[in-house]
Amino acid sequence: MGQGGAFAARASDLSAMYFNPAGLAYQDGIQFYVGATVILPSTSFYGPVQLNTNQQTKMVSQTFTPINVYASCQITDDLVAGIGVNNPYGLGTEWPADWSGRFISTKVDLQTFFFTPTLAYKLTDKFSIGVGMNYATGKVTLKSVLSDPFDPHANVTIEANGTGMGWNAGAMYKASQDLSIGVSYRSQVKIDANGTATFDPMRSVYPAGDVSSSLTLPATGFLGVAYSPVRNLTFEGDYQYVGWSSYKELAVTFKKDNSVEVSPKNYVDTYIIRFGAEYAMGDWQLRAGYLYDHTPAPTMYVEPLLPDASRNEVSVGLGYSLTKHISVDLAYMFIKFDQRQAVGTAINFDGTYNSTANLFALDFGYSF
Amino acid sequence: MKLMMKFFLIAAGLAAMSLVGCSDSAPNGPVASLGSLTIKKYVAVGNSLTAGYQSAGLYQSSQMYSYPMLISQQLTKAGATLGSFEQPYYSDPGTPDATGKASRYEIISLVGPVIGPKGLTAGQPTNLALARPYDNLGIPGIPLAGFMDETGTYQSPPLGRDAILRWTSVSSFPKSVYKQAIALQPDIMTFWLGANDVLGYATSGGVSPAAPTPTATFTALYTQALSSLKTSLPNVKIVVGNIPDVRAIPFFNTVGPAVAAKIGALGLQLYYQKAGESGVASGVTSLTEANPPLLTLTGMTYAAYLGQPTGLWYRANGIPYAAVKALGIDTTKPFGLHPQNPWPNALVLDATEQTSCANATAAFNATIASVASANGAAVVDFFSFFNDIARNGYAIAGETYTTAYISGALFSLDGVHPSSRGYGIVANQYIKAMNSAFGMTIPYVDVSQLPGIPAPLGKISSQDGLPILPADAFKDFQRMFGTTDLR
Repeated sequence: MGQGGAFAARASDLSAMYFNPAGLAYQDGIQFYVGATVILPSTSFYGPVQLNTNQQTKMVSQTFTPINVYASCQITDDLVAGIGVNNPYGLGTEWPADWSGRFISTKVDLQTFFFTPTLAYKLTDKFSIGVGMNYATGKVTLKSVLSDPFDPHANVTIEANGTGMGWNAGAMYKASQDLSIGVSYRSQVKIDANGTATFDPMRSVYPAGDVSSSLTLPATGFLGVAYSPVRNLTFEGDYQYVGWSSYKELAVTFKKDNSVEVSPKNYVDTYIIRFGAEYAMGDWQLRAGYLYDHTPAPTMYVEPLLPDASRNEVSVGLGYSLTKHISVDLAYMFIKFDQRQAVGTAINFDGTYNSTANLFALDFGYSF
Repeated sequence: MKLMMKFFLIAAGLAAMSLVGCSDSAPNGPVASLGSLTIKKYVAVGNSLTAGYQSAGLYQSSQMYSYPMLISQQLTKAGATLGSFEQPYYSDPGTPDATGKASRYEIISLVGPVIGPKGLTAGQPTNLALARPYDNLGIPGIPLAGFMDETGTYQSPPLGRDAILRWTSVSSFPKSVYKQAIALQPDIMTFWLGANDVLGYATSGGVSPAAPTPTATFTALYTQALSSLKTSLPNVKIVVGNIPDVRAIPFFNTVGPAVAAKIGALGLQLYYQKAGESGVASGVTSLTEANPPLLTLTGMTYAAYLGQPTGLWYRANGIPYAAVKALGIDTTKPFGLHPQNPWPNALVLDATEQTSCANATAAFNATIASVASANGAAVVDFFSFFNDIARNGYAIAGETYTTAYISGALFSLDGVHPSSRGYGIVANQYIKAMNSAFGMTIPYVDVSQLPGIPAPLGKISSQDGLPILPADAFKDFQRMFGTTDLR
C-alpha cells in the first residue's frame, strides 16, 4: 500500500497473490505475511437538489479493517505454492436513520473473503508465471426505510450471503537487473447469494422471508513496469483495468411473492493508474506512492449506497527488517475523492458528495 | 542516503497536503433566502385542501401537515419571521358527522381491508381562544362564492362559520374569509379556491349539485376576489392554485378497473344510469373502451354485490321500496348486470358528465390564469401537475408516488384529499411558484419526513381487489360538498 499499489511488475512479497501471482515464484522457503488495514472513511452529502437545499448530511463514522493472510512454500527450486486470504471488496456506508434519503438507503455493508490457492513457476531466472484459484465468500447487508403508504414506516433489512469462484494468472519478466515487467489478470467472480428480508414492524403484505441476489465482482488486469535508475531505488508505474461493467444492476428477488426489486447501476469499465517508489537503506525501506482511480459510476447512478467518485490517493510507507526472519511494513494512505455531483439521478436524489479516507496498514512477514 | 530520505518524506508530505488542503468544503448550492422581500405574515385561503382535510375528516394530526403549515415552516427556514402560524385545530379524531361521531376514515383492519369511520366520539376545536383570525383560513366544502360572502350560505356551517371564522364565539372579527384575511395584513398569500365549484358535481356522479358553477359566475367571483385583495393589500404577494382534473384522482380511478376485471372475466357488461337517469338504465359498458364511464369510490361497497339481487344502494340512501319500484327498478334482477337494477347514476360519472366537468375545469382554469396575471399573482398549475402524476407518477428520493388508491401514497383514504406526504408535494409546488415569481430561495419540504397513512399491523387481503367499505362510509364526505339527495 505504501507504493500506491504499483506492484505488479515486482510482486516481491506474498501480496503477489493479489497483484501478480508470478511474483510468488521468487519467494524462498516457507514464508508468512499477515496484516490488517484500518480504513477511516468520511463522506458528506450536500442536498438533495430536489428539495432546493444544500444542507449537509454526514455519513455515520465507520471503521473497516480488511485483513490479509498469506503463506507460501517453495516446493522445488522453481515451483512455489501459496495460499492467501484477504478482503478485497469490503466496504460500507451508513447514513443517519432519519435522513432525507432514508427511503434509498440507511446502511450498506459488503464483506468478501477471497481464498486464493496459488502456484507459481520460474521458467527461467528472468521469467515466471503464476496461476491461482479464487474462492470467494460474500456477505451483504442492505437497510432502508420502506417507502410504502403506511405509518409507522417499516425498516427493511436484507441480509444475504453466498459464494463464487474465479481464477487469476500472471507473468513476470525481469528483463535486466534494473527493469522488470509484470502482467496479471483476475477473472470476475459471480457470487450467488441467498438470505432473508425482515421488516420491522411487520405487515403481512411485506415480502418477508427468503431472498436471493447475485453480485458479480469485476475482472481486473494489471500491466506494470518497474525500473531502478540507481541502486536501491526503484520506481514502478502500473495501469490497472477494472471491468466494472459487470455491475449492471442490483436485483433482489423476494421468494414470498416472486417480486424483484431492481436497482440499476450501469457501471462502466474503468482504470487505475498507479505510481510507486521504494528506496532501500540497509534494513529499512522507504516507500511512497500515488494512484488515480477513475470512477466506474455514471453521473445519473451516483447514489448514497456507494457514492463513488474518481479519486487521488497518496501513500507513504516504511519497511524494516527486524531480524533475519522478521520484517514489518507500515503504510499510510490518504484518499481524496473528487467532489462528485450527482445530476439527473435515476433515483431523483441529486446533490454533491465529498469523501476522503485515511488508511493505516500494518503487516508482518516471517520467513523460515 | 540521508538526503534521499529527506527527499522522500518531503515529496510525500507535499503530495498529501495538496490533497488534504481541499477536503470537505460545501459545494455551491442554493442558499435559503427570501430575496429582497421581508415576510412577517403568511395567510392561506382555500377549501378542504387548504385546511389539511384528510381521509374524510379534519383533525389535528393531519392539520399539522396542511400545506399552509408546511409552507410556513419552509418560509421560516428562509428567514421569514411569522411568529406562530395559527390554525383552527380540531382534536383527533376530528370533525363530527351528522350523529356526532368522528367522520374520519381509518384502516379499521388490514384484513379486507376494512376502511371507514371507527365510530369514535368526535374531537373538539382546541384553538378557539386565539385573539385574532387564523392564518389558515381553509374551510372544508367552501366554493369560490364563500370567499366574500357574509351571509353564511357557503361556509359549511357549523364547521366553517363557528370553528374557523368563529362568528359565534368571537363577534368582533369580520365575518368573511376575505375580511379576516386582510385584517391579518399578510405579506404573502396562497389562494386556492374553485375546486368545489366542480368537485361537488363530480363526486356525486353529476347528481347533486346537478351542474358545476356557471363559468360567468365563476369569472365574476374570481375577478372580484383577486382585485379586492389587491386593492386592500397592494403589496401582498399572491400565489393561486388552479383546479386539478377531478378525473385524475383515485376517487374516480379505483372501482372502475376492478369492476372491469370482474365483469370482463365473465364476458359481461355493466348496465349503468346515464346522466339524468334514475330508473331503467340506457348505459351499457365493458369499462374497457377509451374514456369509459368513471365509477366513483363511493361505489366500492356496491361493487362487491355486482350480479346479486340487491337493493342495498336504495336502502343505504333511504329510498323507500315503493319509490324504487315506481322508478321501474327491480331489485330482484342482478345488480349492475341488468338495465332494471343498474349501477346507480350517483356512482358513475358518464361521458356527458365527464365532458361537463372537463369543460367547467378548463373554463375556470382559463379564468384563473388570466385574472391572476392581471393582478400580478403567480399560478400553480395543479391541473397539469396532477395529470402528469396520473400518467407518470411523481418520483423523489427513491420513492414514486402515484394516484393509485392507498398504494400510491399520495392521496388519503377518501381518494380525493392528499395524504400528509401528498400535502408536502402540494406545498412544494407553491414554494416552487413563490421562488420563481418572487425571487426567493425557499427550501422544499422533505416529503420523506412526513407520515404515511396510519395502518394497523397485521394481515392484508382484499375482496375483488378492493377494500371493504361500509355502505354509509361516504355519506358525510359527500355532505361536505352539499350533496343531499342522490336520487
